[in-house]
Amino acid sequence: MEALFALTLANIRSYTRDRAAVFWTLAFPLVFIVLFGLIFQGSGSARLTLGFVETDTSPAAEQLKAGFAALDGVTLVDTTREDAIEQMKVGKVDGIIVVPAGYGASLAAAGGGAPAVQLEVYTDPSRPQLAGSVYQAVGTVLGIVNLGGRPPLVVPSPQTVQTENLNAISYFVPSMLGLSIMQVGIFAAIPLVADREKLILKRLAATPLRRWQLVGSNVLMRVLIAFTQAVIIVAVGTLAFGVEVTGSLLVVAGFVTLGAMAFLALGYVIASFAKTEDAANGMTSMIQFPMMFLSGAFFQIDQMPQFLQVVARIIPLTYLADALRQVMVGGAAFAPLWVCAGVLLAWLVVCFGIAARKFEWQ
Amino acid sequence: MTTAAAGEPVIRVTGLVKRYADITAVDGIDFEVRRGEVFGLLGPNGAGKTTTVEILEGLRAPDAGQAIVLGIDVATDPEPLKPRIGVSLQTASMYPKLTVVEIIDLFRSFYAHSRPTAELIHMLELGERRNARTKDLSGGQRQRLAVALALVNDPELIFLDEPTTGLDPAARRSLWDLIRGLKDAGRSVLLTTHYMEEAEILCDRLAIMDHGHILEMGTVDELISKRFKERAVRFDEIDGIDDSTLGALAAVTSVKHDDDAILLYSSDVAATVGALLALTEAHGVEPQDLGIRRATLEDVFLELTGRALRD
Repeated sequence: MEALFALTLANIRSYTRDRAAVFWTLAFPLVFIVLFGLIFQGSGSARLTLGFVETDTSPAAEQLKAGFAALDGVTLVDTTREDAIEQMKVGKVDGIIVVPAGYGASLAAAGGGAPAVQLEVYTDPSRPQLAGSVYQAVGTVLGIVNLGGRPPLVVPSPQTVQTENLNAISYFVPSMLGLSIMQVGIFAAIPLVADREKLILKRLAATPLRRWQLVGSNVLMRVLIAFTQAVIIVAVGTLAFGVEVTGSLLVVAGFVTLGAMAFLALGYVIASFAKTEDAANGMTSMIQFPMMFLSGAFFQIDQMPQFLQVVARIIPLTYLADALRQVMVGGAAFAPLWVCAGVLLAWLVVCFGIAARKFEWQ
Repeated sequence: MTTAAAGEPVIRVTGLVKRYADITAVDGIDFEVRRGEVFGLLGPNGAGKTTTVEILEGLRAPDAGQAIVLGIDVATDPEPLKPRIGVSLQTASMYPKLTVVEIIDLFRSFYAHSRPTAELIHMLELGERRNARTKDLSGGQRQRLAVALALVNDPELIFLDEPTTGLDPAARRSLWDLIRGLKDAGRSVLLTTHYMEEAEILCDRLAIMDHGHILEMGTVDELISKRFKERAVRFDEIDGIDDSTLGALAAVTSVKHDDDAILLYSSDVAATVGALLALTEAHGVEPQDLGIRRATLEDVFLELTGRALRD
């Protein structure tokens, strides 16, 4: 055990002292996220876009609309109820206000003792932060209309819409995490081949150190880096760009671990076939870039040509990014979680099997 | 601890063969290393020394023959051997971004018993470079670190593959002292080298290897006296006196050239020197840099292979 931890520490030291490795695995994904975040800031939750459905044209209704329009950071979209719901499903509006027919008359009646007027408010409860912002806006406006009167003249009537698509940054953050985990795994091939070329692996073979300890130290170190990436990426996504992580962090952690191990196994396969450090570098790029673009990490899979979709259905990054997205931010699933876990596990087992047969230590 | 009894050899090799794709690197060799001795494998690059050593370290499986090291058959299961041996490979590189202390501590973690880091650093004179990363070490410092790592577990048997290659003369001498110290402490050492002087100074016994074969084996004195009963009279070449004239001088058995020097092998040095001086006086010259030389391992190697070892 002592040898396992000592070797893990040695690996971590070698990694943190390699500025290029640290940049590509930790800083680069962050730079990407910040860049993307700034580009898509308009669709972030800092601004609120409300669908406004006006089925009454009384002065009271106009006054209500003016109240919403006057709020800071709120944009109103005039539309019909059906259209508003459609727009909300694809993430174009964050919530919907429906002014009922006869609003002006009902308001006057309520002033005279009739029941309060119901103002329909649509939100997606699976995105509580956004829903909260919508209700906060509604509360502010109704506060003015009701003039603090008891009982209130207008009350919100909560309605729900299940949104399917995510805004760009929410889609992108889990993708970037998946991508970073892939890099940390397959990039393991490069130091492995370098250590073999320098005969360090041969020297270790002359000590009582066992091979499982050598592999184990690699797994420990790479999973640790993957967790560091996850913390940084999720923190920046949440704090800087308002991405809401709704799912279980435990399940996220499970997929981070499984993904890191599957890609590390792929890294061992690369190291089994690459004879030199340069060859290992080339092979990692050759695998990394197609995987990046064909996985649905950046582009939705159903928008790809048919033959590329077949590739997308095979490569592990598709399933890691999809699983992370489902758990972290919800949204449309490419495959059920258990399928994602199964595919990643299959990649792990197959790659590990190939590496166990082909990897040469000397 | 000792599965081999006191009188048992620490290494016993019989009929060892190792083939690579198209060459036979080790071609049926036999030798023994006794407990407490420094044994040398001497030969040019490509002689099969490193392959032999790596089989004994359990890093390569032999194609035929047997190698018993510390009572363990390395071809069957070398793992029990590993805690008991120390190894310094021919190419001595290490994790480039770790420091000397970090690497020694890492290797200490592999063994149940180990020497203190400070002691190893002191033994190999690495104190000034203790916190330097290995990529910043000189070739000689790297070599010393490799030897330090071979001693981490205070092993019974130490394999040193070309340990002084790349060392300056002072560092080489201090490593020789260290190896003698190991011997004095009862450790056994198998070292490979292509330096004659090193083999003559350090090795109790040695085997001369070439093309996968052991050509001759024994103590330095045995190896030399077996082939060269006579000593040599040496002097710089003299114009106008040819080899046949020299060969006819009293007690001369053969005449050899070594660079610009003439070597007259003689069964009676005094008679040969007297005859030589008479001859040169008749020619009106004086032999330059005249001396008497015993044959060296270099001469033995030349005699065995027809080539100089340094070529």
